[in-house]
Amino acid sequence: MIRRREVAKRVFAYELTRSTHVLQEENVKYALTPLGERVNRIFSVSVLLDKEEVRPDTNLWRMRLSDPTGVFYAYAGRFNSEAVETLLDLEPPVIVALVGKVRVFEGVTRKLVSVVPENLVEVESAVRDYWVLETAKATLKRIEEMEKKEGEDVKLAWNIYNPNLEEYKSVVKQAVSLIREELEELEKEFEEEEEDFEFEEEEWDLTELLED
Amino acid sequence: MDKVEEITQKIVEKFERHGVKVNKSEIKKRVDLLLNEFKVPEGEIIRTITNYLIREHGLSKEILFERESPLVKIAEITKPGVWVSVKAKVAQLWDSSSPNVSQVGLIGDETGMIKFVIWAKSGKGEVEEGKSYLFKNVVTDSFQGRMQINVNRFSSIVELEEDISLPPREVSIVGALVSIQQGSGLIQRCSICGRAMIKNSCPEHGKVESYDDLRIKGVLDDGESVYEIILNEENVKSLTGIGLEEAKRIAQEKLDRGAVLSELKSRLLGRYFKVTGTKGGRYILVKEVDFYKPELKEFKLLGEAI
Ligand SMILES: [Zn+2]
Repeated sequence: MIRRREVAKRVFAYELTRSTHVLQEENVKYALTPLGERVNRIFSVSVLLDKEEVRPDTNLWRMRLSDPTGVFYAYAGRFNSEAVETLLDLEPPVIVALVGKVRVFEGVTRKLVSVVPENLVEVESAVRDYWVLETAKATLKRIEEMEKKEGEDVKLAWNIYNPNLEEYKSVVKQAVSLIREELEELEKEFEEEEEDFEFEEEEWDLTELLED
Repeated sequence: MDKVEEITQKIVEKFERHGVKVNKSEIKKRVDLLLNEFKVPEGEIIRTITNYLIREHGLSKEILFERESPLVKIAEITKPGVWVSVKAKVAQLWDSSSPNVSQVGLIGDETGMIKFVIWAKSGKGEVEEGKSYLFKNVVTDSFQGRMQINVNRFSSIVELEEDISLPPREVSIVGALVSIQQGSGLIQRCSICGRAMIKNSCPEHGKVESYDDLRIKGVLDDGESVYEIILNEENVKSLTGIGLEEAKRIAQEKLDRGAVLSELKSRLLGRYFKVTGTKGGRYILVKEVDFYKPELKEFKLLGEAI
């Protein structure tokens, strides 16, 4: 039997990087987020801030990525030469869409979350805007579930992380209003352009000529 | 099974369907005689013995006219009063207020859906939603301008092992294109059957003539479910401006068919799309597709809700 493809979850960097607990189900590993989401694969649209070859000539690249809520890391190497190829062409800062697997590593002092890309591509800001909206909605839904305190994963998340839900709510609110303000600016500029155009039309008023 | 046994079995089953027990060894003797001694054709043997048994048991002549109804697809049912057989899945059962009706609902196969009625006096067993059956010897009917099938006492209902698929349903999804799969881009199709070639070879016809086509097999993901979609040349062109001719030009210029795929990946992967299409097997065959863009009012609404 073909195994069902894992859905790419929408998770803000803020929540993702606070995930330390790993769940294993058959052969699939999931990171459990502080809001009780099981995450194996994510889809994230963020800004590539930096790319760096981990050690010279290893062909293992570390990317530092940022969404409106925080920064996370992704690693691409031999195991995904296509992502590496894309990466070599990118000049940070650029907006990228990233599909990848979430990995939790045991660091020296704490557990670290990173993403291993399956697909990496430069995208337009509208894609980022919609991703923020979608991820905000998904996060709010998780917060709601956490408030109900039902379900195995939710209970586990409470036990392990005991998250401050208000903190997560305000992170979401900030992300949404950031995009909203940007879109409002765009709309204003657009309206101003329209006004300019009307003004020019008035200058070319031909009424007098036509009256003759 | 030998011919005598086979014909005998057919006759016995025919009568058993009507709840009549007949003497099998006696029938077998008659079949043997007519077939081997008198060289009578099979159809005539059945007719003759059936006639004899009808008289013997004092039955209605209806049995004589009952034939094996042809197996048809639901889309082919267009005239009332025709005896047919259909393989279909029970899509829905409705409540029936009439004591004359044992069950009523909708059945379907990949070509369409049709209402069915099992009359109480037919004495036929119950069907279950989601299960597939062979509805054998049912009569088509027209009720209030729509076709239906009636299960009567000459019919039989046999549960099937196979899962009959229902007709394609139109679906509409917004999601991110998270993967473009193998067999996408500028592909070659077999000139005989139109299937996509794998390594210059048709899975059915081997190394044959081929023609070029452009398509994308991809995965659309909305964060809750994944959908496998197929974008045809027209879809790809409407999204990227790259049609088949342009794709061939790119491949020629770069001396690499893969260059087309790279170009399409960089323009389509990671973007949001709204697709409308029909589900056929594992793929959604896309009819309409467009980039999906958010609106300011969605941010305003959500911002206020938090
Ligand atoms: Zn072929």
